[in-house]
Amino acid sequence: MKAALFCTSRYNGEASHSVWPAPTDTYETELAERSMQGTLERYRLGDELGFDWVTVAEHHFAPFSMTPNPMVMAAALINVVKNAKIAILGPDIPILDPVRVAEEMAMVDTLSGGRVVAGLMRGSANEYVTYNVNPSESRGRFDEALELIRMAWTEQQPFGWQGRYYEYRSICIWPKPVQQPHPPIYISTASPESGEFAARHRLGAGFAFTTLQIATEAAKFYRERCRDYGWEPTPDQIIYRLATHVADTDEQAIEELTSAGGGTPAVGLSFRNRAVERAVAESGYYGRDIDTQRARLQSRGEVLSRIEKGQVLVGCPETVLKQIKRIRDAIGAGIIDVTVASQLGDKALRSIELFGTKVLPRMREL
Amino acid sequence: MTETPNLVPGGDFSDSEIEADGFSIRYREAGSGDALVCLHGGGGLKLTGVHDILAASRRVVAFEIPGFGASPENTRSASLEELAGTMNAAVSALGIEAFAVMGNSFGANLALMMAVIRPEPIQSIVLVAPAAIRLEAPPATIDPRADPSTLLYAHPERQPVAQPTPPEIQAKQRALVGRLIGPPCDRPFEDRLSAIEVDVLALFGTLDRVTPPEVAHLYREIIPTCNLVMVYDAAHAIDADRPEAVASVVDDFLTHHEGFLVRRKSGVIHP
Repeated sequence: MKAALFCTSRYNGEASHSVWPAPTDTYETELAERSMQGTLERYRLGDELGFDWVTVAEHHFAPFSMTPNPMVMAAALINVVKNAKIAILGPDIPILDPVRVAEEMAMVDTLSGGRVVAGLMRGSANEYVTYNVNPSESRGRFDEALELIRMAWTEQQPFGWQGRYYEYRSICIWPKPVQQPHPPIYISTASPESGEFAARHRLGAGFAFTTLQIATEAAKFYRERCRDYGWEPTPDQIIYRLATHVADTDEQAIEELTSAGGGTPAVGLSFRNRAVERAVAESGYYGRDIDTQRARLQSRGEVLSRIEKGQVLVGCPETVLKQIKRIRDAIGAGIIDVTVASQLGDKALRSIELFGTKVLPRMREL
Repeated sequence: MTETPNLVPGGDFSDSEIEADGFSIRYREAGSGDALVCLHGGGGLKLTGVHDILAASRRVVAFEIPGFGASPENTRSASLEELAGTMNAAVSALGIEAFAVMGNSFGANLALMMAVIRPEPIQSIVLVAPAAIRLEAPPATIDPRADPSTLLYAHPERQPVAQPTPPEIQAKQRALVGRLIGPPCDRPFEDRLSAIEVDVLALFGTLDRVTPPEVAHLYREIIPTCNLVMVYDAAHAIDADRPEAVASVVDDFLTHHEGFLVRRKSGVIHP
């Protein structure tokens, strides 16, 4: 198995984590700078410890994650992270210009010597307010943007695009990706629609901030559909992302993570603005299993119950290894994307260190 | 609530015949202004929403190629070049001195040949899923197990209900196309295509498994004036699958030629 390290670039100062968009009336530039530098240091440490990937994500208007453009963070990481792949998981393609996404990813792939992993995401419900995009068009835009991005990466002659949501008269990007024909693509496969799409297009599958039970069902569906399309995903094509805290003992790890609010905010990003979330839900954004998807995103609770649900890795290295094995056995994930609780400061660094030195070497044998 | 039936395109088009090169050639026509001559593919003359939209701002003449539809079997045209000469004669017989030509699939091959043998009157060329330059072997992305009924349309459910073409007419048309279309890699024809000087627009459906988007680059490489456009979510019958998307870019191209690359629609939201 492989491990990825995800640092959310959290603003480590006073800020509201219960509303969206979060106002910046308590914002301090110096704290923001320090928070960013801390993020880079955590990534540097992860790379030195042998993490296979570092991952970045796109979120807007929230102190939980100060990476509105993950491409910028990915570019910043190229000289900080020397060996690990840089997994951009990912741009929220329905709210962005797909040609720009193709250009930026190809640029980072070239600057990094072919280390990009391309996660192409729909984004959480609230993100549709960010650039004023109709969420009812989310899936249609996503499908089309992904195909356009792939063609922009591979087509050598200038071409125009007459889409349903996108129209361009001439595209021919420079640079092209180093990885041929293009970087490996992953999408979130939480819903049946996206599992079907990933299987049809031979894409990797990502599960993030879900429960093991829900992810197990979704992974089973994805695998079945892959079989129907005549292929079998490799372990490297299934990623499972979850909050993680490792300490010397189980008790210490649980206590520290509890003090940090469970590793992830009590309220998911989508649900920090109930009016927006409700309106997005009414638009059809969630697809046909809306209840499961909304429940997944609202599922929070005490650390112990979250361990049971497969939402967090918490404990000493031995315990965390068992929790990882359970995930591997349930969904066949070959890559665990470890999200550290950066608000724990030095304890977060210690957690990364313990994971890298005590867990990761044994994951290799799984 | 009952569903509204799909309207059959071409309702405003007249139906006439013209004598040319010893053939009596049926054509359908609508609109006025600059002439656009349309040549159908191997399935025969079938007007789409594209013809309707384009006829709002120009004269659209859609020929039925001799040997197609109810016309007698065409055993006289010995080559694509001869048939192109016939179609050039038909255009002249209508008194059209300058025109743009748009061809679908096999009709695109014919349009290109018309320009090769008599370039002077042709102002621009639109190729819709052209079959002029083909691969020796289909690309790996083409699933040999695919249901043949899906080859023409990405969205058959959106097509108007039409009477199926009788088998004897299908056979007659297939024989003519098979005789004239030429080999997949026709180097002498490709050499002649490279001499084309007018602007060319070539459209490919992203789901087309007959003339797939994987061949598009060859058109650009062989015809220096060729502009490629991918039409998303369209199969071989691009204009039937996505008529608005096709008509929009073709209209811009016919109006502005190579200047069609520049957007002219306003971006103002609230003046």
